[in-house]
Amino acid sequence: MGLAYYPGCTLKTKARNLEEPGIASMEVLEFKLEEIPRWNCCGAVYSLAEDDLIHQVAPIRNLIRAKEQGKNKLATLCAFCFNTLKRANLLMRENAEKRNTLNSFMDEEIDYGGEVEVVHLLEVLRDEIGWEALAQKVKLPLRELKIASYYGCTLLRPREIAIDSVENPTILRKFLKALGASPVDFPYATTCCGSYQIISNPGDISEYAWDILGSALRHGAEALVLTCPLCDYNLGRGQKELMKKHSEFKGMPLFYFTQLLALALGLDSQVCHFELNYGSPESLLREKNLLS
Amino acid sequence: MSAKKESKNPAKTAVKEKRQVAAKLIPIYIMGKRYEVPEGLTIMKAIEYAGYRFIRGCGCRGGTCGACGTVYRKPGDYKLQVALACQKTVEPGMYIAQIPFFPANRAQYEFADLTAAPEEVFKLYPELFRCVACNACTKACPQGIEVMDAISALKQGNIAEAARLSFDCIQCGLCTSRCFGELAQYHMFQLARRIYGARILPRAEHLAEMVKTINEGRYDQILDELKHVKEDELKKLYQEREAEPMAAGEDWKPKDTRYL
Amino acid sequence: MSYLGYPDFFEPYIKKVEQTRPARVEKRKKGDEFPFMSLEERQEILKHHPDYKGEGRREIKVGPNKGYRIAHEFVDLLEARSRVDPDKVDLSRIDYETDVLIIGGGGAATIAALIAEENGAQVLTATKLRYGDANTMMAEGGIQAATKGGKDSLYYHYLDVMGGGHFKNDPDIVATFVKQAPDALQWLENLGVMFSKFPDGRLEAMHGGGTCRKRMHYCADLSGLEIMRTVRDEARNRANIKVLEFSPAVELILNEHGQCAGALLYNMETEEYLVARAKAVILATGGAGRLHVQGFMTTNHYGATADGIVLGYRAGVPLAFMHTVQYHPTGVVFPEQIEGWLITERFRSEGSDILNVHGEKFVNEREPRDVESARFIKECLDGKGVPTLTEKVGIWLDSPMLDILHGEGRVRTAFVGKWKVYDRLGIDISKAPMLVYPTLHYQNGGLKDNAECETAVPGLYVAGEITGGLHGENRLMGNSLMDIVVFGRIAGRNAAIFVREKAKEGKLTLEHVERYRKELEEAGIITDRVAPMLLPDYTRPEVKEKQLTVSYLGTLR
Ligand SMILES: Cc1cc2nc3c(=O)[nH]c(=O)nc-3n(C[C@H](O)[C@H](O)[C@H](O)COP(=O)(O)OP(=O)(O)OC[C@H]3O[C@@H](n4cnc5c(N)ncnc54)[C@H](O)[C@@H]3O)c2cc1C
Ligand code: SF4
Ligand code: SF4
Ligand code: SF4
Ligand code: SF4
Ligand code: FES
Repeated sequence: MGLAYYPGCTLKTKARNLEEPGIASMEVLEFKLEEIPRWNCCGAVYSLAEDDLIHQVAPIRNLIRAKEQGKNKLATLCAFCFNTLKRANLLMRENAEKRNTLNSFMDEEIDYGGEVEVVHLLEVLRDEIGWEALAQKVKLPLRELKIASYYGCTLLRPREIAIDSVENPTILRKFLKALGASPVDFPYATTCCGSYQIISNPGDISEYAWDILGSALRHGAEALVLTCPLCDYNLGRGQKELMKKHSEFKGMPLFYFTQLLALALGLDSQVCHFELNYGSPESLLREKNLLS
Repeated sequence: MSAKKESKNPAKTAVKEKRQVAAKLIPIYIMGKRYEVPEGLTIMKAIEYAGYRFIRGCGCRGGTCGACGTVYRKPGDYKLQVALACQKTVEPGMYIAQIPFFPANRAQYEFADLTAAPEEVFKLYPELFRCVACNACTKACPQGIEVMDAISALKQGNIAEAARLSFDCIQCGLCTSRCFGELAQYHMFQLARRIYGARILPRAEHLAEMVKTINEGRYDQILDELKHVKEDELKKLYQEREAEPMAAGEDWKPKDTRYL
Repeated sequence: MSYLGYPDFFEPYIKKVEQTRPARVEKRKKGDEFPFMSLEERQEILKHHPDYKGEGRREIKVGPNKGYRIAHEFVDLLEARSRVDPDKVDLSRIDYETDVLIIGGGGAATIAALIAEENGAQVLTATKLRYGDANTMMAEGGIQAATKGGKDSLYYHYLDVMGGGHFKNDPDIVATFVKQAPDALQWLENLGVMFSKFPDGRLEAMHGGGTCRKRMHYCADLSGLEIMRTVRDEARNRANIKVLEFSPAVELILNEHGQCAGALLYNMETEEYLVARAKAVILATGGAGRLHVQGFMTTNHYGATADGIVLGYRAGVPLAFMHTVQYHPTGVVFPEQIEGWLITERFRSEGSDILNVHGEKFVNEREPRDVESARFIKECLDGKGVPTLTEKVGIWLDSPMLDILHGEGRVRTAFVGKWKVYDRLGIDISKAPMLVYPTLHYQNGGLKDNAECETAVPGLYVAGEITGGLHGENRLMGNSLMDIVVFGRIAGRNAAIFVREKAKEGKLTLEHVERYRKELEEAGIITDRVAPMLLPDYTRPEVKEKQLTVSYLGTLR
């Protein structure tokens, strides 16, 4: 089955380790991710300023590309892209005045009213494949891998676009279960990692990061699973510093959910591009006999 | 003249930039001022017809130099349109203004030090990420380039795609004049094409080999001899040379290999 | 009403082309070609070439080539006054100071600038229009170099150049040219020029008129644009290359030792004349199409007015091969909006037939340009040209064949530029043929120099279309783009060496201008023509009649 897919710019540059295992895995699951043509970068952060319509243009144009292709659903892998696209879509569905303004601004495009549904790949796994079916496809169960699910904020906030319960999300936990891993719960699962503050205030960020990583460690996690390249950056980049500061911390591998998926489905580890991850996730995997 | 038939005195009957006297006159507004010009002329020739003599805003007169970027509007239409003055024919009531120069930011760089990494472009042109996908650039491009898509490609780190999409760019600057994010797209594209040409496209090895062969002196003697051959002998050699057939493929080999 | 985008009038003629097309395509596929002319036949046909018309030319009465018969349009410029009274120019007030002054902003000029800079010189480039507005930008077809060792060599390139030029070319210059060409091409590749290549990196190549091997390399159909914008971009990276736009040179300045030591520049906006002093000068002002020799249309850019020829000749540099001018066989005759516009030879190289009004072939499409043009003119004189709505005639160039021969979409992809322009005018040239006629294209001759780009004036170097010698009496397609790279580089290097080793300090002078004026007077030439021309004047006589200002007040007319 074909599924319209929006990659996002980061997946084409830094986060190929998020994209490539995702595409390969979905193929095994008999879903072909079809990149929409002529997509553009979505504009990074959903613009919060009420009147800042110009920044909605980019995400909406991508939705229009999907509509042009006759697709009613558009999947993303990156949680950040998901957030931006889905919120823009909501705006087009619910705010008639802004919808008209944006449509008339983009007068070279077909009119758009939110017809396309934006989904995150985790939703596709849950709703269209199902955890059980997924579990059956697993060739290499990720047994003994103790992983904490880190949602960050973009999959769940604001409430109107959340892919799961905002207070008590379980989607990643169920995902990990299906792959045969051992999910670890910890209180920071939905805390924001600091996002873009990192650019203006790097000191703070390592504090945020420690809150999250330290807590995961104390709850027995050996690794973290993520859905967003920015989280990866924020939580990965400062780990060396943190190891110096906190002697008990020996570093914590960060995996994209697609990497774990590919591994469990028995795909060649090359598609996972572990070389792009922070630290050395491969040694942990070897320890667990998940990688030769 | 192009082709006056059997003119006795070509210089006399020749028509330089030929104008048809009989053509219907239509009104146009050059910088807001009304003139009547024959229909069918390009904007460039119409401006000259009106009595202007260009210093700026006119270069190749053939659609490849980008000197003659022009914006215009038609009566009753809010849309700003763009064109190359040397390519677009006038229409009744057109309001015309030329943009012969636009101050666009160009980054300085040491080409020898550049790699094919997308980050090179990001570093030189951080404003790339100010693009909001408004698409004004694509609408402004007289070459029909998907300017926004090429900018997107750059953001996605796809230098090759940006290079290919922008290949027809004549650097007229019209996209830049309309850009919401204040990007100088054409300078970014130029950078992308150079990186693509020198670092991404595979090198021509046969060329490198030929350069080496020449430097080793393989042809020195034969060239020296040729220089001193008499005209008649040269003509003979010329007529004897074996012609590669038009339809020959890449693997064609000549029979005569004495001078290779 | 229209047929394939052409007015109805053309329908019966286009239909004839369509009727003969299938058979012609079959012939092509079999490799069946229209026979080439012998050297004798060429000679015969060339009588129809505009160069051979006696009434089109006259003897020049002054200067180093006194007695030489060349086109009236050139003589008019050479027998004209300076734009300034040299006595009024204060040469002690220097406005610009540099090591190497480069006059021109096209390909030869820019390439020379890069190499002069690399050899340690400060460079000032003075150009008439915007930087890069030049004939170089317009070249489409390609650039020649013998690069494929298995089938081509310098020997064949040499013979092709000589044969094209009727064996009159300067052998030294040709030898240097073919020898340096591959290295020059590689230099461009290193700068990032996007050549059209096979997936393995091999350069695509094709035939051009007068080539015996496929050695014409290209960058889609925008070769000159791609080369020009790339070298210009590189020049903009170099802090030691400064550029003055809209500042043409109007006279060379010498020094008391007889060396070239700068130029008088004209700021076209403020109308000031400014003194640029240099230790060496490179003239690279390109061609002369805008002189409209014998009234022909031209493919050239707006600034192709032979300025450099005037400057150099007045300073004592002789001319070479100025008696021949190149007409490109295929300029557009219809539609009128793009009249005179060049249709690249590549259409023919790839297999488009040339046809008369009956849809018949009458010439091999790969004869040297002068022969090809002359043959077109003859066919039309014989009444077998295609009539147009105005009084003109043309010849068909059957572009749709390319889609049949090389696969659908060939015209659109390999000739994007052309396709787009015609498309805007409602004609799809992958379906309908193009109507063409010879158009004024290239200045075969120019200022005389040698293989080191040196001229009769020490410290004055020349490169590019302004020179005469390489192409003899007729240039082959693809050799002028290579000309500007090979000799642009040599001129740049030698000028920088001159600066270091030979340039002498000395008083600046415009005496040669005064001397030339006297010579004109002695020859009895009294005229109010001034030269260089700088820009052509397309003002209508009806407008001119009303431009009645008695004298100028500053820049206000
Ligand atoms: C339409 C067209 C297609 C062509 N196609 C091909 C092809 O396919 N292959 C090929 O090999 N050749 C081709 N040629 C020929 C080739 O492009 C030119 O001969 C060559 O590029 C000339 O380069 P140049 O640097 O000598 O002159 P140009 O590129 O013309 O540069 C001359 C420069 O000097 C400036 N200038 C002029 N007067 C003055 C002054 N008084 N002071 C200061 N500056 C001045 C001009 O503004 C210009 O910048 C083509 C030419 C044309 C017109
Ligand atoms: S969210 Fe980020 S990665 Fe995704 S497209 Fe937008 S800017 Fe690019
Ligand atoms: S980067 Fe931080 S802000 Fe972001 S989604 Fe990830 S958790 Fe949220
Ligand atoms: S991309 Fe911009 S500069 Fe290039 S041709 Fe189009 S409008 Fe002109
Ligand atoms: S005009 Fe500027 S902001 Fe708008 S799409 Fe083009 S590059 Fe982006
Ligand atoms: S004058 Fe060069 S593009 Fe119009």
